Amino acid sequence: MADYSKFEALNVQILGISSNIPFSQKTFADSLKLPYPLLSDAPELKVIRSYGGLNQQWDMTTAQRWFFLIDLRGIVRGQWRGSTNDVFPSEPILKAAKELAPKH
Amino acid sequence: MIRWITSGVAVCVIAALMTALNAPAGERPAIAKLLKALNASGYPSAMQPPEFSGFTVDGQRVSLDSLQGKVVILNFWATWCLECRPEMPMFERLHREFGAQGLSVVGINAREGATAVRVYAKELGLTFPLILDPRGTINAAYGVIGLPTTFLIGRDGRPVALAIGPRDWNGEPARALIPALLAEPVVSKGTR
Repeated sequence: MADYSKFEALNVQILGISSNIPFSQKTFADSLKLPYPLLSDAPELKVIRSYGGLNQQWDMTTAQRWFFLIDLRGIVRGQWRGSTNDVFPSEPILKAAKELAPKH
Repeated sequence: MIRWITSGVAVCVIAALMTALNAPAGERPAIAKLLKALNASGYPSAMQPPEFSGFTVDGQRVSLDSLQGKVVILNFWATWCLECRPEMPMFERLHREFGAQGLSVVGINAREGATAVRVYAKELGLTFPLILDPRGTINAAYGVIGLPTTFLIGRDGRPVALAIGPRDWNGEPARALIPALLAEPVVSKGTR
């Protein structure tokens, strides 16, 4: 989130998608004062499934903590896999986004 | 022609009134003003709080469904949470003062045992229901990641407000907000 303004400067729209319902996503987003939208993929989990990111753990199905960078034409240009408990560094995604940014 | 226009206007007024009455309580100007003063955020009309069911330290079963028709203060807390502590006597006061009028104050503990909760309740003289959530399932369903977090639910079962962090629940905005929510009509679940 500290690098949000850097992504914003590159005209990158950040979207978070999870298996949670909108109600719990609102609590989460308000708690962290997230500046970008969270989208709920519950209950069908169609988007998460189509990206291959379903995570079955005990009796819960959640989304893997994966990151995708999609270009202006809708083509996936990068994919990163983070673990559930660690903070994933934004530098590699930011670097890839800079390389995709239109050159002036 | 004039009669048609008049009846058309009447239908529009009735429709507008019905829309206004069907709007979430948090969107009414007087209530929205109090929520702002309390620094609590509102909810879009389509959202519903997740159903939950749990046991209090006394073994009493409490579910959201059982609180239908009441104004509910749902406070997520823990005994180790320093910022939660000053809120508890304030919730107790609201519970005692407005309980008979239809307010239900419910505490949802975060992953602690019955003994710790019982000792804490006795020390602070808390008499409102304190639900145990040993696996954190209710906390997770509500998206709670920090304590205290408090939800206000209206008589119609819809969420009214979310307060993350401690608030002055005996302050002027809160003490005006509770009677305003209690004055809202009770709507049965089927007609929400």
